Parts: sequence; C-alpha cells; structure tokens
Amino acid sequence: MPPPERHPRRSASLLVEGADVRYHVAGDSRPGQPPLVLVHGTTGSTDSHYGYLFPMLAFERQVISVDLAPPPGEAPLTLEQLVRQVEAAIEAAAPGQPVDLCGYSLGAVVAARLAAGQPQRVRALVLVAGWMRTDGHQRLRNRIWRELREAGAESLRSFMMFCAFSAGFIAARTEPELTEMARRITLDAFVDRQMALNAGIDISAQAPAIRATTLVVGCTHDQMVPPEHARLLFAAIDDARYTQIDAGHAVVFERPSELLCQIGRFLDAPHAHAAGSVIAAEQP
Amino acid sequence: MDPRPVSPTVAAPTERDILIVGCGFAGLGMGMRLLRSGRTDFLVLERADDVGGTWRDNHYPGIACDVPSHLYSFSFRPNPDWTRVFSPGGEIQQYLRDCAREEGLLPYIRFGTPMQDARWDEASQRWTVTTPHGLFVSRVLIACPGHLADAHQPDIEGLAGFTGEVFHSARWRHDVPLQGKRIGVVGSGASAIQIVPEMAKVARELVVFQRSAPYIIPRPDRSFSAAERRLYRRDPSAITRARSEIFWGGEHNFIQRRNVPRFVAEAKAMALGHLSAQVPEGPLREALTPRYEIGCKRVLISNEYYPALQHPNVTLEPSALARLDGTEAVAASGRRHAIDVLVCATGFEATRPPFARLIHGRDGQSLDAHWSTGMLAHDSIAVHGYPNLFIINGPNTGLGHNSVVYIIEAQVDYILGALAHAQAHDIAVLEADAQAQDRYMQALDARAQGSVWLAGGCRSWYVDERSQRLTLVWPGYAYAFRDANARFHPDTYLQTPAAAPAHNEETA
Repeated sequence: MPPPERHPRRSASLLVEGADVRYHVAGDSRPGQPPLVLVHGTTGSTDSHYGYLFPMLAFERQVISVDLAPPPGEAPLTLEQLVRQVEAAIEAAAPGQPVDLCGYSLGAVVAARLAAGQPQRVRALVLVAGWMRTDGHQRLRNRIWRELREAGAESLRSFMMFCAFSAGFIAARTEPELTEMARRITLDAFVDRQMALNAGIDISAQAPAIRATTLVVGCTHDQMVPPEHARLLFAAIDDARYTQIDAGHAVVFERPSELLCQIGRFLDAPHAHAAGSVIAAEQP
Repeated sequence: MDPRPVSPTVAAPTERDILIVGCGFAGLGMGMRLLRSGRTDFLVLERADDVGGTWRDNHYPGIACDVPSHLYSFSFRPNPDWTRVFSPGGEIQQYLRDCAREEGLLPYIRFGTPMQDARWDEASQRWTVTTPHGLFVSRVLIACPGHLADAHQPDIEGLAGFTGEVFHSARWRHDVPLQGKRIGVVGSGASAIQIVPEMAKVARELVVFQRSAPYIIPRPDRSFSAAERRLYRRDPSAITRARSEIFWGGEHNFIQRRNVPRFVAEAKAMALGHLSAQVPEGPLREALTPRYEIGCKRVLISNEYYPALQHPNVTLEPSALARLDGTEAVAASGRRHAIDVLVCATGFEATRPPFARLIHGRDGQSLDAHWSTGMLAHDSIAVHGYPNLFIINGPNTGLGHNSVVYIIEAQVDYILGALAHAQAHDIAVLEADAQAQDRYMQALDARAQGSVWLAGGCRSWYVDERSQRLTLVWPGYAYAFRDANARFHPDTYLQTPAAAPAHNEETA
C-alpha cells in the first residue's frame, strides 16, 4: 500500500451541452474496486457538500467528484441534463469502466436516474437523503423559498439553515457560527433553476429499473427530504439496504464522519447486508 | 474501599483459567464482561488498594476528563448522574468503584498484589505470575496496563540537594501545604494545564516550566441541570443519543489528525483564536504560540489555563527545567526561580511501558526486549511468541480524537471471541501468527504515514524515539478500530488443540 500522503487532486473541465462541468479526481485506484463518483446536491459543489468526504474517501479508493453546472440559457433545468453531465464526467475520468456512484440530495436523484438508465455501468450505488417524487410538504417549502427569494428577503438564508439542519445541531451552535454558516450558502441563478427542478421531481417510474447494489441513507431529522422518502427509495429498489443517520438534511455537515463510516463499510462489502436489510446505526 | 484481605501465602500457586492484571477501565471492563458472559474462573491482580487505574492515581487539584463523560463510560453501564459534560476525576473514580461493586466483581480482585514477573511455561501451557503474595497460574493472561499508568519522573540534576518538596502530578502529596508557597510546575501538557489554574489560586508565586507550547481549544463544559439528569434517568435513550452525538463529533476531528489541510487549518485557527481571545498581543502570547502542527501532540482543552498564566503571581518560563540548585529551580534559559514546592506534571511512561519488562514469552524474552524497536502487536492485542496473552490498551490503541473506553470495549469483545473460539474448538493455546502480525503492522505503518503525528514536526509520546514509528495511537477512526479489531480472527492464530480429555481443561 503506497503511503497515503496529502494526496493531490487533479481537476479538469469539459463542456456538456454548453455547460462547463468540472470534475476532481483523487486517490489511487485499487484492484477490484471501481472508482467512486460523487454527485452533490442543490446549492452544493465538491468543496461544500463533499468537503469532508471527498479527501477522506480518497484515502481508501479513487474518487471522482463532479461539480454540476448550469446549461446556457434560461430554459428550465432538467434532470436529464444533470444526468448527462455526470455521465460525461464518468466517461472522461473512467472511460468504459464500471463505477460506484454516490449522490446526495438532488445528487441522489441524479445518481438514481443515471443508475436506472445505465444498469451495466454502476456496481454499487449510495443514495443519501434522496427522494423519488416531490410531495406536497416539499412543494410548500419550495414555494416559501421561492417567495422569499423573489422578495429579496434577508431571512432567506436563515430559512434555508432552519430547513437544512436539525434542531439539535442549530441549538448547539453559537450565534457567530450560525452567521458564518448562513454567509456561506450559495445563492445564484443556477440555484434558482435547481430549486425549480426540485419542485417537480418524479423518478418513481425509473427507480425500479435500478440493478446496482444499493445503500439508501435517510436522515432522521430531515425537514427537506423527510426520511420517509429515503425509505420509499429503499423499497422501490430491488437490491437495496437502508440505514438512517441522526441528522438533518445537511448530514454532510452535521455527521460526515458517520456518513463516511456507512459509505466506506458498504463499498468495502456491498453484499455484507442482504437486500432488504435495515442496517442498525453504530452504537458507540 | 478497603483492600480485600489477601489469602496467606501458601506454597501451592493459585490457579485460575484467566488472570487479568490491572483494574482500571480496561481490567474492570474485561472482568465485568467475563462475569456477564458467565465466566467465573478468573482473578484480577491489582497492585494498588483500589480500582480505577489512572483515575485512582491522579487526584491532583483540578483533575477532570477531556472526553465528555456520557461517552467516557462503559456502553453497558450508562450513568445518568454525571454532573458535568466533562466530569471531575473523582466522579469517574466513584463511577468505576460503583461498577466493580454493583457488577459483583470485587470478590475477584486481589488488591495489593502487583505482578512482579509473568512467564509462559511451554510444557504446562500455562502462565505463572509472581506476586508478593505467592504465585498465580493461568491458561490465559490478560494484561490491562493502561496508557497513563506509570508516572514519568525525569532525572533532575540537583534533586538530592533541593530544599523544597518535589512530587509527580500522579502522586499528589496532599500533605504538602501549598497556600502562600512558591510553586513550580514542570510541564505544559494535559495534567499541567488542569493543575496550573488551581495552583495560581493558592501560590504566592507560581512558575510554569514550558518546554513547548501546547495547542489549547475552548472547553465546552457546563453542569447538567437537575431536569437533564432526570431525563437521562427517565429516558435512557437520551443517553444513547448523547453518546452518539459525542462519538461522531469526536470522529469528525480525526480528519485533522489525518492531515487534510483545510481541516488542520480550521483546527489551528480555532486554537490560535482561543489564544488571541484570552491573551493580548505581546511576549506571553508569543511564548504560548506552538511551533509545530496542531494535533502532532495532544490538543488540550481549557478555558482557565491562559487566564491563570496572566495572574500577577504567575510566571511562564518558556524553557525546560534544567536543574535544581538548593532553593532554586534553574531553567534551560539560565533564569533562576526560588521554589518551595515543585510539581512534575511530566506525564507517563508511554512508549516503553514498565509492565513489558515483567512479561516473558515462550523463549524467555521479556516483551520490553522483544519491543526493542518499539511496541507492536497483532490486531493491537496479541504478540507472536507470547501465547495466550492478550493486552488491552497495548500498541496502537490510543486515540488523539475520541474516547479510549470505546477502544477498550472493542478489545474486550475480541478477547471474549477468542475465549469462545478456544472453548468451542477445544483449543488450549492461541498464538498470533508471525506473518499475520507483520502484515497487520505493515498496514498500520502505512496508514500512519503523512498523519500529523508523524508529519507535524514535533516530538511526542505517540512516537517511539528509537524507531520513529507511531506506536501509541491507532492511526484511524475509532469506528475503524472496532471494524478491524472487535472480532477475533482465528485464521491469523496458531492454534494448539487441548490434550485429551479436553473438557477438564475448559471452563464450564
């Protein structure tokens, strides 16, 4: 095993339907271990949503993380566009190879849709805080978000934090920490288009076509994608197992160490838990 | 707690299936789990007169734990009554006493019975342990030495002619008056930063000898309200949730030790921000600014240390203690400080633990000699050439980021698995396979490369000076230790079947 030094990361760009898609590669490929492709969620990027997971996962395997990008123009963003961006990055970074695929939030929807369409390409699939079909509760939140956004309301960032983080996590932070967290939230035209896409997701017809060995991760205190959504994904996918993490939707910030633990264990032995299993949380 | 009267020395050795040596968190955890698994054919040998290990020995003013108590306790013995997030040492010691008593372990402990020598006899396939109270013989020996068990007392030039009192922080002399005295504290590690604020309150003058400045971060301590404590009692699932919260929060920080730049930088900014908030710009802040990467040495947690150093009666001597000269302590800088009481907060024998000199394997070699280039063990628990020996808190079991009690419990699970395997398959002797041990150590060494412990530019007790290998800490997440080492791996052991009739050899 080569010494896991502070590993450099290689980055590259490619144009996909006019969108400037960047991807980052780190870690050594291991025999019998496909590269792991990461897809971030709404408002995210490799550096934000996978700031913790990307470098740590890269100590154990090759990791490719895609930064989704806005297609040119003002037309509504489609799920298929995002799927094609990820497919293009995979083809550029790991041509012809099967991959493991992990998506978070909207990225989980993208990853599920990709795995359903390319069953031969994806060995193991991890869907974190994902969903199949946007429901009325999510549309209500999405509408409040849009109205605050259109009104230019100061409270939009606070509202986003309030939705993304669990009560316990927020309660344990200081005011300056909360202010700093709010300041870091990305708000731009691409986020607006992602939020519009989020309002009408429906991959319920495609999800049953997923053949990959799948781990579905739900978040106990998720107010944006309540864990019932993740559980339904777990039920819709043949070879799926489920685990739940005691965090809000922002699990990648609240409990990245536990998420890393679950993802690493799963990728090391995807069949360790039989299809249909509910994997108990680690009890320290 | 009174020491149990020991049996009068008799010629015949005391025989048990299992001997445990030590009863701190490790030995107590092992003993309690043996009892809970139905095994009673064992004894615990303890050199002192009470349980508790490091929490019995360390009772200096200000002692407290640096890991929140709801996690720094046995998973199978949650305690709703912790009074604070970070409990004072005395509360932890009482918890351990209560554990031993309530689990019925006390009758199995021989207090005042230090292991003076332990030898494996190949012919009888038994360990023989020599103590002042006679010989003890067992099939299995479980050493529970603890990382912080034997005080490191530096050789100080001029000690014999020193007119003041000198003692180590882990041998606190409560009979030595401190009020109004000129006190010196040697060291600026985890013990020192708890002691210094207490000494600053009573000393006429206090001098702190600092060889290198530690990183210190805020201590998010507070007392639990009566309602919170009753919640933990009425709804034990609240303790489970608290444990998970603390555990994964601790695990989060491993990324800093793993040396991922952005997180090292965040940790450093937090520590240096704490320093800036508590110490104004100037020579003191300069002297308190560490010169190595954060995490290379233990990161300390205190809100009181920096303020204490700014009391008018306190002096930070930013160099090591060089020697004693009559009434004075002379620093490496050449400065002289008149001292009545010198406290050596100089830590513990970590990389060369004294217990290793006492244990002799199949070829008669001591573990200490066997470990001439640093501690090593298969699965961090067993050593080739030392059959039926298991070590809890041995090589590469410490943590720089989480609760060691979690590691101890994983090791206890491993040993219970080994015992069950031997029983189920009529195996008399289990010995780590040499090649398996080499593979394990190579993988560990590879994991440790590039971590802040090795690459952080400091000298610490985590690294063996003889080989520059990381021998003290587990270079991974705590959960990864449990994944790797909480289950016995029979295929990595040499297994000697019991001679017939095997059932006589086994514990019922």
